Amino acid sequence: MLDKLINLFPEPARPYVAPILAIVIVLNVNLGVCSYLILLERKLSAWMQDRHGPNRVGPWGLLQPLADMGKLLLKEDVIPGHVNKVLFVLAPGISVFTTFLAFAVVPFGPVPSNLTPGDGQFPFIIAPGVDLGIVFIFAIGSLAVYGIILGGWASNNKYSALGCLRASAQVVSYEIPLGMSVVGLAMLNSSMSIEKIMTNQVDQGFIGWNIWYQPLACVIFFIAAMAEAQRLPFDLAECEQELIGGWHTEYSAMKWGLFFLAEYTHVITISFLTSILFFGGWHFPFIAEATSNYTGATAVKVAVLLSKVFAVIIVIQMLRWTIPRFRFDQLMGLAWKGLIPLATVNVLLVMIVKQFDLHTLWLFPLSIAAFVAAGLMATQSSRPFAIKAKLPVEGHGHGHHVHAH
Amino acid sequence: MKNGALLIPVCLGWLAIFWLLPRAKPRSRILGAIIGLAALLALQATFLPPVGNIVRDGMFYLFSGSAILAATLMITDRNPVYAALWFALTTLSVCGLFLLNSAPFLSAATIIVYAGAIVVTFLFVIMLAQQTANANYDHRAVQPVLASVMSFVMLGALLFALQEWGGIDGKADDAAREGQFVAVDASSKANQFSQPPSSNKTEIGSMRVLGRSLFSDYLYVVELAGTVLLIATIGAIAIAPRRSQGTL
Repeated sequence: MLDKLINLFPEPARPYVAPILAIVIVLNVNLGVCSYLILLERKLSAWMQDRHGPNRVGPWGLLQPLADMGKLLLKEDVIPGHVNKVLFVLAPGISVFTTFLAFAVVPFGPVPSNLTPGDGQFPFIIAPGVDLGIVFIFAIGSLAVYGIILGGWASNNKYSALGCLRASAQVVSYEIPLGMSVVGLAMLNSSMSIEKIMTNQVDQGFIGWNIWYQPLACVIFFIAAMAEAQRLPFDLAECEQELIGGWHTEYSAMKWGLFFLAEYTHVITISFLTSILFFGGWHFPFIAEATSNYTGATAVKVAVLLSKVFAVIIVIQMLRWTIPRFRFDQLMGLAWKGLIPLATVNVLLVMIVKQFDLHTLWLFPLSIAAFVAAGLMATQSSRPFAIKAKLPVEGHGHGHHVHAH
Repeated sequence: MKNGALLIPVCLGWLAIFWLLPRAKPRSRILGAIIGLAALLALQATFLPPVGNIVRDGMFYLFSGSAILAATLMITDRNPVYAALWFALTTLSVCGLFLLNSAPFLSAATIIVYAGAIVVTFLFVIMLAQQTANANYDHRAVQPVLASVMSFVMLGALLFALQEWGGIDGKADDAAREGQFVAVDASSKANQFSQPPSSNKTEIGSMRVLGRSLFSDYLYVVELAGTVLLIATIGAIAIAPRRSQGTL
């Protein structure tokens, strides 16, 4: 079917047909899905808080996203007089650009193994064969913070500035556990390419899912990615109670909408990555195996992958009303004292298993043990290495009462 | 004097940068831009890249042009925030050049480390430190003559060395051969790790080959750099104030 479409074009243009088709599909589906994810999030929030949620526009509020979109497009786009205009306009663009660019190496279906340009197979990925894979996503993701920083600074507003300072500290810190968590994965698969990691899991079947080898890395990756996307337990940069709207206080209409489009695209990307890197991509026992070749198998595989992604998105949205927002020092402590050492231990475990030729399934109990040990160390009052706080204690009868400063 | 031609672009470039450096009284930017363009054109005579694929050449000129432009704007902009942003753009352009020369990992790592972390930290500091009412001396270069002369002497030395060396395309005797990261002395037995896997010579620049080279050819340097970073980390922790001293 795709061959016929490709053959409609002149010879020099043919290699570009399938990639452009993939880009068009990804962009448009993404835009549509983002607006409906917002509706889903509002409905889920309402359900969790025992409310009705949006139910006025269309049946069950299903046309609410269209109404929202119309409102965002038609509202007056205010650019306050005291802002730095160039950077103020540039910031939402950077946010959207970087999050969409990161999607270029994320497969959204069964990527054919023998892909050549213009051979009539749909690639299911915008940029196939990128050796870097995850590193590329991290590189682009590290640029996403510019949107927030510039937006916050250009707004020339104290709340925005505080929000952007918080955001930059947070994103720069959480990049480290995010990157470290996939090092073990890369060592096990001897590749950073997302397609290769997915194919390796699919070839081994259900037992090949990386969650059995890297459960700790999965948890670290998921937490760090949530923090990178500024989702709720980590949304200190825009927390309403302290900072009005944080870095987007001064934004209105579609510029504000672009920031949220970027946030939801980021959520979709991390959901894709979590399901591909740790939950076997499009593989599901009996339904979508590497050998399954029945009619419509490709559609089933895509559906399996998308269902996994949807499940992760639901988890992310439910977490929003489950865990309260962190305090800033807790947030930094979690990254630097919790996630980074744990990620290092995880890499060390993979190295040990590889070096001594143990069965890779040993990684499952080892990771769980590392996680439990970290939990015990953090919660026990008589923990080793604990810094005893030297608080001045009134009436403590041992001679060293008050250390006045 | 076969390297004498290098003096023209270096001097012209120095003149352009010297003219454009921020002063108390603003100067014509167009004049500086024209001189700078003349310097680049003069340099083309000696360092023209080989012409081949039109897309590749276009990308090369795009990335290198934006790198030079952004670097010039970085050192001549009066606003430190803009200067940091131009620095980020310079880094991104250079990463594009890395990508063109089949070094994707180097490019991604540079983006993560420089554009993603270091420039963000710069911006952080500048935004915290910058006052709204800037004094006059914040708007001009401190040592324009010394700084520009020194940097262009270094640039001239670099260009001279490049011209003498002859490049990676095998003109020079001590250049790396095809499929090698570093030149291997003909008399010594080649380190097998620095050779790319025999199956695929185009894999050079991939992470596998880069890793093998880093941990064989450059093992001592990597370990040394790691040690220096470790010492710096310990030093930072040692300098940071203690809880008992009232902060944190």
